[in-house]
Amino acid sequence: MPDLRPYLVLGLALGGVFALSGVGLVVLFRATGVLNLAYGAVGATGALIAWSLINVVGTPEWAGYLVTIVFGGVVTLAYGVLVGPPLADRDPLVKAVASLGLTLILLGVMSWAWSYQAHSLVLPTTRWAFALGGVRVNGTQLLGLGLGIIVTVATALFLERTKLGVAMRSLANHRETTAMLGVPVRRVEAAAWLGSGLLAGATGLLLSTLVGLDIVGLTFLVIAALSAALIGRLDSLWTTMLAALVIGIVQSCVTAFPPVSPYRTLTPFIFAILALLWFGFGRRGLRRA
Amino acid sequence: MSAPDVELGASAEPRRGGFALAGDLVGVDRARLRRPAVILALLLFALLILPALLSTFWVQILTSVAIYSIVTLSLSLLMGRVGLVSLCQIALLAVGGWVALRLGFGFGPALPFPLLLLVTALVTAVIGTLIGLPALRLSGLYLALITLMAAAAISQILQAVNFPNGGPGFLGYSPSAAGSVAAAVQRPALLASDTAYFRAVVVVAGLMFLVAVLHVRSKAGRAWAAIRQSEPAAIAAGVNVTLYKLWAFALASFMTGVAGCLLAASAGGLTTYAFPAQDSITILAVVLMGGIYNFWGAIVAGVLLKLMPELLKSWGLPPDVLTILFGIGVLQAMLTAPQGLAVQVPKDLAALGRALSRRTRPAP
Repeated sequence: MPDLRPYLVLGLALGGVFALSGVGLVVLFRATGVLNLAYGAVGATGALIAWSLINVVGTPEWAGYLVTIVFGGVVTLAYGVLVGPPLADRDPLVKAVASLGLTLILLGVMSWAWSYQAHSLVLPTTRWAFALGGVRVNGTQLLGLGLGIIVTVATALFLERTKLGVAMRSLANHRETTAMLGVPVRRVEAAAWLGSGLLAGATGLLLSTLVGLDIVGLTFLVIAALSAALIGRLDSLWTTMLAALVIGIVQSCVTAFPPVSPYRTLTPFIFAILALLWFGFGRRGLRRA
Repeated sequence: MSAPDVELGASAEPRRGGFALAGDLVGVDRARLRRPAVILALLLFALLILPALLSTFWVQILTSVAIYSIVTLSLSLLMGRVGLVSLCQIALLAVGGWVALRLGFGFGPALPFPLLLLVTALVTAVIGTLIGLPALRLSGLYLALITLMAAAAISQILQAVNFPNGGPGFLGYSPSAAGSVAAAVQRPALLASDTAYFRAVVVVAGLMFLVAVLHVRSKAGRAWAAIRQSEPAAIAAGVNVTLYKLWAFALASFMTGVAGCLLAASAGGLTTYAFPAQDSITILAVVLMGGIYNFWGAIVAGVLLKLMPELLKSWGLPPDVLTILFGIGVLQAMLTAPQGLAVQVPKDLAALGRALSRRTRPAP
């Protein structure tokens, strides 16, 4: 039996970041009915821009990281403002497929501008590390887990307590009625797009440090977050966070066992399949979509 | 602005009226015969004339266009006829290739090629159905998600197990043979040349299109149409929704399996990097751009997917531009033109022609 503690630390960090992106996906889906499959690609593009700014242009590191997060927000907001309203009445499937269009555009731009070779981006927090119970824990790992939990809690409170949050929740229930009640629907949706986009940028930054800055890899890491969001029925933030943490830990711990280690990326898929079987054949139905 | 419109309408009307008298009697038969005649002419052109005009390289490219149009056909069947979105068709294609190679490098005596094609397709159909089964009872969004996850998972598994190349054990991959033995299925002697193989592939692809058309015109096609229009209405009308969705998914996986086997026997064999996970998204894009309500779109999609990148490369342009265009194509298809290029381009050309003729005509 190998020592699982280092894998547990990495798993918690990964799970935290998955939770971060899962929450971003769920909030946007609840407010606009859009499952943004371009989430990973937006983060990856932002991280690559930061890489270029820091290593080629020579801007200070913090400016590069800021640009990543802002880029995530701006691109996602622009997409939401341009494509969101015309598709507002369509099926969630159509909205999700449209976001694959953005994914392809970003993938094309990335492979054109940065080609498929691996780059690397290391957040300054990684250099700061301490020992915890005989395991080295670095700052980025702590940041991943911490941010995941903090953002989940903050978002849950935001949706529960603030006026904008209540508007988003009522949008989730019925767009037309919400509009009739005088809620500025487009502005509320834009806020959801922006928030979700900022999270996408932060996710890209953290994942490129934790996992590696690889175009296709980062784009498809959204799948782990999707799986968590799906287990949360695209609705519950808490279930999404817990599922994300479990997926992160399992996926990381599997790495310790060489015979099954190449298949570790199956973890989100297996969890999602099990969840769907449970939803599909269990008694409790799905709320939306 | 209204004056030219009236004039255009007036000039067009008598011509149409003139045709109508003679056309009403003969027109029915003519219209019914025209489409098979066009298809037959295209098939003969592809089988007899194209291979004679092109070099081996382009014949190989066209072979892969024909193979991938079977895959795009399967996706267009799912999306256009049933309203299901699958994002794992390329992954299933790789699965089909793997199964074909596994059977081809055989346990015991080698299967004859047509039998290998059939068995591969059946195994792929079973695997595809197993992937789709949990989501098929739920809404379309969940099927899209689960198939996207399956696509990523399968591409990761392929990286780990690789394609069989005659190695030992069930996985059949031997790293030491990787340089010398191509992971390719042995073709029968009759199809040894690339031209002969191209012809065989076109014939098989033609058969797949025929199967699709026959399905759409049968009871299954009507059930699919009902499901696509409204699932609750289909249930109310007594359509077994889960069964027919499953049937569609199994049929699409079957076709993809056929394509996988054909691909495994094509020149050079299979490599894991020929099936990146993002191709499952790209294929969705080209199918949407080709048009999903019309099987011609599947051929357009095959051309966009396999011929265009090679053309761009031969012109010295980066094929990444194509990915960006495909992304824009998806957005455009979702926002404005659900019928795709196969319908939209003739329409646009007609509109352009009208606009041009209006502009060149002197103002009254």
